[in-house]
Amino acid sequence: MTEPLLVIDHVSKRFGGLVAVNDVSLTIRRGEVVGIIGPNGAGKTTLFGCVVGLLRPTTGRITFAGARVDGLSQHAVVRRGICHSHQIPAPFPFLSVRDNVRVGASFGRRRHEVGRVVDEILTRTGLDQLATTPARNLSVGRLKLLEVARALATGPELLCLDEVGSGVTAVELDRILQLIRDLNDEGMTILYIEHNMRAIGAVCGRVIVLDFGQKIAEGTPAQIGADPRVVEAYLGAPIADSA
Amino acid sequence: MRLLRHPYLPALAVAAVAASYPLVRPDDLTFLGVGFLTFIFITQAISWNIVGGFAGQVSFGFAAFFGTGAYTTALLWSKAGWDPLLTLPVAGLAAGVVALLVGLPVFRLSAQYFSIATIGVGEAARVIAINADNLTGGASGLILPFNVPDKSWFYWAGLAIATITFLVSAWIRRHRLGLALFSLRMDQSAAEGLGVPTAFFKNLAHVVAAFFVGSAAGLYVVYLSYAHPDQVFGFDLSIGMVLMNVIGGIGTLWGPVLGALIYFPIRQILLSDPSLVAVNLLVFGALLILIILFEPGGVLGLLSRAGVVARGGLRFRSADEKRAE
Repeated sequence: MTEPLLVIDHVSKRFGGLVAVNDVSLTIRRGEVVGIIGPNGAGKTTLFGCVVGLLRPTTGRITFAGARVDGLSQHAVVRRGICHSHQIPAPFPFLSVRDNVRVGASFGRRRHEVGRVVDEILTRTGLDQLATTPARNLSVGRLKLLEVARALATGPELLCLDEVGSGVTAVELDRILQLIRDLNDEGMTILYIEHNMRAIGAVCGRVIVLDFGQKIAEGTPAQIGADPRVVEAYLGAPIADSA
Repeated sequence: MRLLRHPYLPALAVAAVAASYPLVRPDDLTFLGVGFLTFIFITQAISWNIVGGFAGQVSFGFAAFFGTGAYTTALLWSKAGWDPLLTLPVAGLAAGVVALLVGLPVFRLSAQYFSIATIGVGEAARVIAINADNLTGGASGLILPFNVPDKSWFYWAGLAIATITFLVSAWIRRHRLGLALFSLRMDQSAAEGLGVPTAFFKNLAHVVAAFFVGSAAGLYVVYLSYAHPDQVFGFDLSIGMVLMNVIGGIGTLWGPVLGALIYFPIRQILLSDPSLVAVNLLVFGALLILIILFEPGGVLGLLSRAGVVARGGLRFRSADEKRAE
């Protein structure tokens, strides 16, 4: 097995009396695509926020490539190699698509490389045709692609995607999934939060299920689909006398 | 008007035309004086726009930098005997240091709270200056040496400082710093999430802006041969910088220049006519309401709607994007 890239070690996050993430530990190895699923309110986005530097875990530690990243400011986390896409797209509305991507590419990289990196990413995400369009004119599907493109522009080792497959058309979803597979083939590690089980099944080698802030199951997509605890978390416990 | 898209050449052309005036009419002292003061106000407006426009951090405390620069020059010139011209960079640096000290805590506040806090900063600076009698002359001000160059010299010096400020602002707008400022204005947390150290860039923009405001302030007190806390730290200066940008077109390259050209004459007329002094704030207040209600883009927004200026010319365009076209 390859070395662990991201280690989440007994991480909890409380908001006042609410325990959003409760003592979760998990390891992501270099080159994996790991999915995180769970019902609404399971703590997916909170855990994700702790990883990408938006939130500070209440207890526990997160190490990335051997160094602690919890508690760093967000731009510092990005510089270490973790970048994320937003669940609700947050484009820079009055900047062109190209300049949106340039924001991701311009900081922490040598100036003469920026143009080439931006061109490459625009081409591979298929946004090159829209390069000069202001981001506010894009459809939801394109905005999700732009989210991924901007995150890629920072040159991450670990790409964290938050529901990039929700609210897009089937064609756009296929395009995004293909992009994820291609990136993974090139060696990128991906952490993918999603509601859409088809998307998870299509790209993830391993899936982690959260419920009420705790990790309740972990395995391949097929194992997860057959796990009674997962079915229970989503659909509720079977009625006793119907068994 | 494609011309406005090229940032440097039109500015240099306008500056060259303006610079020729004292050669043609060296004895038109009124115009040279008004011209000099206009250049000082243009410099203020362009500098403010780097922070308030590009980065969207609307500050009402820029008088603190103007006053700091003004008194730095005043003291170095009258007490330490420096050549006034040599004091200008030092005045700029002093203002920059104040901007950094102010910015480090205040930029932690989000937009509206930042604006409110800067009102306090500007007023606090004025009150401190009024009470620091032995340094600033307090309420009686500081009389400075009277052996100053002629008005043509001031006119050219003011023009030079305004032109340099404009070129720096245009350069920032096209390059990485501008990209950082524009992105954090539109969505600060998204910019952070893409690796932009937003606090650093806000402070950098603040210090650069304060440098030019402070240098211009130094030139201003040399021209007046007099420095008074209420004058160089006055809240009306801070408000003026906001107003000029709102009038001209906030966040644009030429907006602050146009705004200053409109604001300054109106202000002079209102302040010089005894029957109008009382209503001067009323006039600007009404103007502010009208602009925000009907054309938040200011004069440039109006021109853009009328098709005189290309719409695309007003939005952020990086140097890289222009090459790509």
